[in-house]
Amino acid sequence: MRNIILPGEALPKMPSRAHEVIEEDGRFIATVIGMYDDEKGTFWPLEGVWYPMRDEIVIGIVEEAKLNSYTVNLNSLYKGIIIAKYSSKLFAGDVIEAQVRDLDETKTVVLMHARKLSGGKMMSIKPSKVHRILGREDTMIREITEGTQSMINVGMNGVIWIKGGDVQKATEAIMKIEEEAHTSGLTERIKSMLSNNKV
Amino acid sequence: MSSSREKPILIIDGKRLDGRSFDQLRPLSITTNVVPNADGSAFIEWGNNKIIAAVYGPKEALPKHTQDPERAVIKCRYAMSPFSSAEEHGSSKPNRRAIEISKITKEVFENVILIDEFPGGEINIYVDVLQSDGGTRAAGITAAAAAVASAGLPMRDIPYAVSVGKADGHLILDMNKIEDNYSDADVPMTICPRTKEIILLQMDGSFDGSKEFREAYSMVLKAGEEISRIQKEALKEPYTKIIDKYR
Repeated sequence: MRNIILPGEALPKMPSRAHEVIEEDGRFIATVIGMYDDEKGTFWPLEGVWYPMRDEIVIGIVEEAKLNSYTVNLNSLYKGIIIAKYSSKLFAGDVIEAQVRDLDETKTVVLMHARKLSGGKMMSIKPSKVHRILGREDTMIREITEGTQSMINVGMNGVIWIKGGDVQKATEAIMKIEEEAHTSGLTERIKSMLSNNKV
Repeated sequence: MSSSREKPILIIDGKRLDGRSFDQLRPLSITTNVVPNADGSAFIEWGNNKIIAAVYGPKEALPKHTQDPERAVIKCRYAMSPFSSAEEHGSSKPNRRAIEISKITKEVFENVILIDEFPGGEINIYVDVLQSDGGTRAAGITAAAAAVASAGLPMRDIPYAVSVGKADGHLILDMNKIEDNYSDADVPMTICPRTKEIILLQMDGSFDGSKEFREAYSMVLKAGEEISRIQKEALKEPYTKIIDKYR
């Protein structure tokens, strides 16, 4: 049975992967809105803030080109930085996809393997819904890519870049997933939504 | 509290002027996600009060000298719109009262949001009163709490606020404008429902000793169950609506 849990509500036991649950007086307290699965004992947040993790893929916009580094806007509290000597020439305003190499003590995200994304469309969603957009073993995103023939890159910071194919339909599908992320049978619904409007 | 010499009678035949009993709340409803541009938002209608709260963040605190390297800073702005009230408050410029309420709202949320998780960050909370009828600071905090939760900011609890006062020798809960102006005491409280901690307590006027205060506190806790339930329903509603659609 899946239940909606609100901040301040206690969970019966500590979920396995839970950045969003704190322990107070021996009770496990959820700190964000989320879903708790009684049987599996898992908690996943429905709302939340992005916390950068090593090796994650992110998408951002180059904000400033400095002498030996670039700063990247990651649509969050954290600012990305690319060391210029490990990257090709970038300019302010470029959209890039990169991997998180490290987090330094000032909470700046050091990025590596930066790749410029040219053209296309950017959209942002809630970072807590990114896992649902990708789906289990990337099934959901593959479904959208095949259904729309678009190239879709998903950043874990909640920024998505879409190029080519039916951009409009891909955007609609992503927005539908974001809205209905907490329901079951979503992959089937997206599949039928994409096949119905096939050109 | 007003300095008027002619104090109106606030309690007639054991009922208050608007027909409520002493411990009865005004009708309360909350809607969340009313401002799509904000990270989280809520609209509250509490009696004749209509208030919008919106939350943005966490983002980098600017200007840089406001940053705290150990925790996020909360910036809160409470404002009454120029048309919100029949008397005074003609301007939405921050006056003494608005600055005070902004400060206490900020301090409430510093105790609830896990600000240690966002060093160098800032969280903006905006509370805008569209229509006021007494008790707007309590209603503003109640709405802002729902907005913070819907923004996905990690928080220990969803606080609620309500005021309790004293008129003609009786303790009365959730005072409206007239009661607020002519009562003998006005005590807004903010409570964390899980731990029953008081995180805001102000007092205008006076109670007769601690016994009366304890009575007021228990009145607030009892009413708080109802306020908390409405807050939680408002937060669940966007999700349950979609779950029901596919049932």
